[in-house]
Amino acid sequence: MFTGIASYLVFFACVVLILGIITLGLNLQWGFTGLFNAGIVGFYAIGAYTHAILTAAPQPQYLGNFGLPWGVGVLAAMAVTALAAWLIGLVTIRLRGDYLAIATFGIAVSIQLVTLNWEPLTGGSQGLSRIPKPLAGVFDSPLAFNLWFLCLLGALTAVIYAALERILRSPWGRVLRAIREDETAAVALGKSARRFRLEAFVLGSTLMGLAGALYVSFIGFVSPFDFLPIVTFQVWAMLIVGGSGNNRGALLGALVVWAIWAASGVVVSKLVPPSHAAQGAAIQVILIGLVLVLVLLYRPRGLIGEKAVVSRHAGD
Amino acid sequence: MIRTALLCACLLAAGPALAQSCPVKIGGVLPLTGSMAPITKKIAQAAELAIEHINQGGGIKGCPVQFILRDDQGQPTVGVDAAKYLVEVERVPAFTGTISSGITGPIIASVTAPSKVVQITCCSTASTFTLDGRSGGYFFRTIPTSKTQAYATASETVRRGFKKTVVIYVNTDFGTDMVRFYKAAATKLGGEVIAEVPYNDNQPSYRAEVSRALAAKPESMLLVGFPKDAVTIVREWLSLGGTRNVALNNSMRTMDFVNGVGAKFVEDFFGMDNAQVAGPHVDAFNKAFEEKFKTDSKGPGVHTQYDALMVMALAMNIGKDLSGPSIKDSVRLVHVANGSPVGTGPAEFKKAGELIKAGKPIKYFGATGPIEFDANGDVTGPALVWKIKDGQIVTDRVISIEEMQALFKRVGN
Repeated sequence: MFTGIASYLVFFACVVLILGIITLGLNLQWGFTGLFNAGIVGFYAIGAYTHAILTAAPQPQYLGNFGLPWGVGVLAAMAVTALAAWLIGLVTIRLRGDYLAIATFGIAVSIQLVTLNWEPLTGGSQGLSRIPKPLAGVFDSPLAFNLWFLCLLGALTAVIYAALERILRSPWGRVLRAIREDETAAVALGKSARRFRLEAFVLGSTLMGLAGALYVSFIGFVSPFDFLPIVTFQVWAMLIVGGSGNNRGALLGALVVWAIWAASGVVVSKLVPPSHAAQGAAIQVILIGLVLVLVLLYRPRGLIGEKAVVSRHAGD
Repeated sequence: MIRTALLCACLLAAGPALAQSCPVKIGGVLPLTGSMAPITKKIAQAAELAIEHINQGGGIKGCPVQFILRDDQGQPTVGVDAAKYLVEVERVPAFTGTISSGITGPIIASVTAPSKVVQITCCSTASTFTLDGRSGGYFFRTIPTSKTQAYATASETVRRGFKKTVVIYVNTDFGTDMVRFYKAAATKLGGEVIAEVPYNDNQPSYRAEVSRALAAKPESMLLVGFPKDAVTIVREWLSLGGTRNVALNNSMRTMDFVNGVGAKFVEDFFGMDNAQVAGPHVDAFNKAFEEKFKTDSKGPGVHTQYDALMVMALAMNIGKDLSGPSIKDSVRLVHVANGSPVGTGPAEFKKAGELIKAGKPIKYFGATGPIEFDANGDVTGPALVWKIKDGQIVTDRVISIEEMQALFKRVGN
């Protein structure tokens, strides 16, 4: 019983950390730079498919499936996502606020449709299976593999968190916040807002691509159903609930929102008899919405919002 | 220290075999909300009925069965999480689900196959699942794959003299499989596919797709998709002057479709489904379903979901214990060539239980007919041609298992 719960929690934690990495990417874009990226799932998909196409075991009917090592897949996923984000950024980054949101949303939907229709490369709606899990031969029980993957994810998340904290405290990070608060003032000080916005956009999207690669190598399967717009909405909910502009808030938000999603399902299945499972499921969806609304009503800046610091020396 | 560790390891290894505690749990994941929800309602009811019959018929290994059903919301991460919870925390030794192949796939890859849990689905037809060897033999389905339906459709359209056929299909694994297999079979049998037009679901209009199909000057159409979009497509097809030689797939065998388009417009349209072969076992199921839910048992996945759970329960009773490998090896023993025939309903399940206890082989005839799994975990089955007559859905004819086998030989696998 306890090994079962532990095993489930390890699995759950892996999913949370993968979602957490995406949320950190969005936090860099929205929380610090004010870029309204509504196409998160598009970059996530590019990373996921790059990794899957490079690492999946060869099959004659597919163009890809090169069977390359895991590390190559992950690095390539980041590189390809960065390149895609840079190209997309070049044409869209001048757009402000909701205009950028509409553009990126459209691009994400297009990317999902490409994965659905470019069958020889992506497997289309059949998806790509036979994606190797890293060191699955060494850790051959599900719990052992998930534990090892959790350690890997934990280490990666720690590195990403530390690196983000570091660069956001640097002059580069201060420019991002300056742009977010008042772009005209930042430009007046001689900063190229466009360049900084593009850099933040590419860097944040690269993290989303990394998360995509991690997700498919954790699950071992990828299909276009993984990249519906609902994922974008979930990640936004995580950032807003956790606290936009705070990296710890982003990670906490991923945990809290995904826990609400999973726990509400458990609660409903415990309380509602199977004969009313359909009604119970509808209640679950209502519950999720209700909790999100309550959090926002009582913690409008998120669970741990951004610290309002005028200057680190102001209190001295 | 080492001894303690060994003891622990032994206890852990023996855990599932020792634990013969009541009730026996069976897990399930279905899209109870989301775009599939309208189809799922009856499927979930069929599952509920199966569990009721199993319990009235003596349960599994003398224990009552507890069915834990979770919602996947049509989202892979949600479905995988629910499946993982059922397998790890609830410790279900067997699992049924789900409908969308995009969710069944990751569940096989990351939950059931690695944990050696038997998974039987009513509805996922993606051909890769049973062919790529990833499931380790733990994945079964009671729905004939798209191939059976596609071949049967091809033989029927050719029989009815369909020429210059255009195929409009939903762009999912199901749709692409259907087109691929239909085209192969129709070409072989003397038909002709002149255009293939994919569509993406949940669009307000399909004028562009229908116009593209009509541009090929077709004399007949095969429509593969789901009822809601199909209503829109057929309306646009007819209003733009498309022919009334229209063949449909199994999902359209619902009054929602007929009434959606308007009964008089779809008169004499026909379609294919997995045959609910006539026989006492099929009637017993239909009657039980109608009595309990006050609605007919027509609809995609209803009969196959019932059989998925009945097969699972029979296999759990046949296996020496409730471990995954033992259940997996028993699944093919529910329909043995020289076994005593058993059918649907609680009394028949009880009879099967007594036969199993006496060490005798059984031969299960389910709500979809004889259930015999091939080496991949797929069923082959008879098909059924239905048509719309005076605004009602009626069975036109049944293509028997023998005819299907002959057809497969003619077309070639």
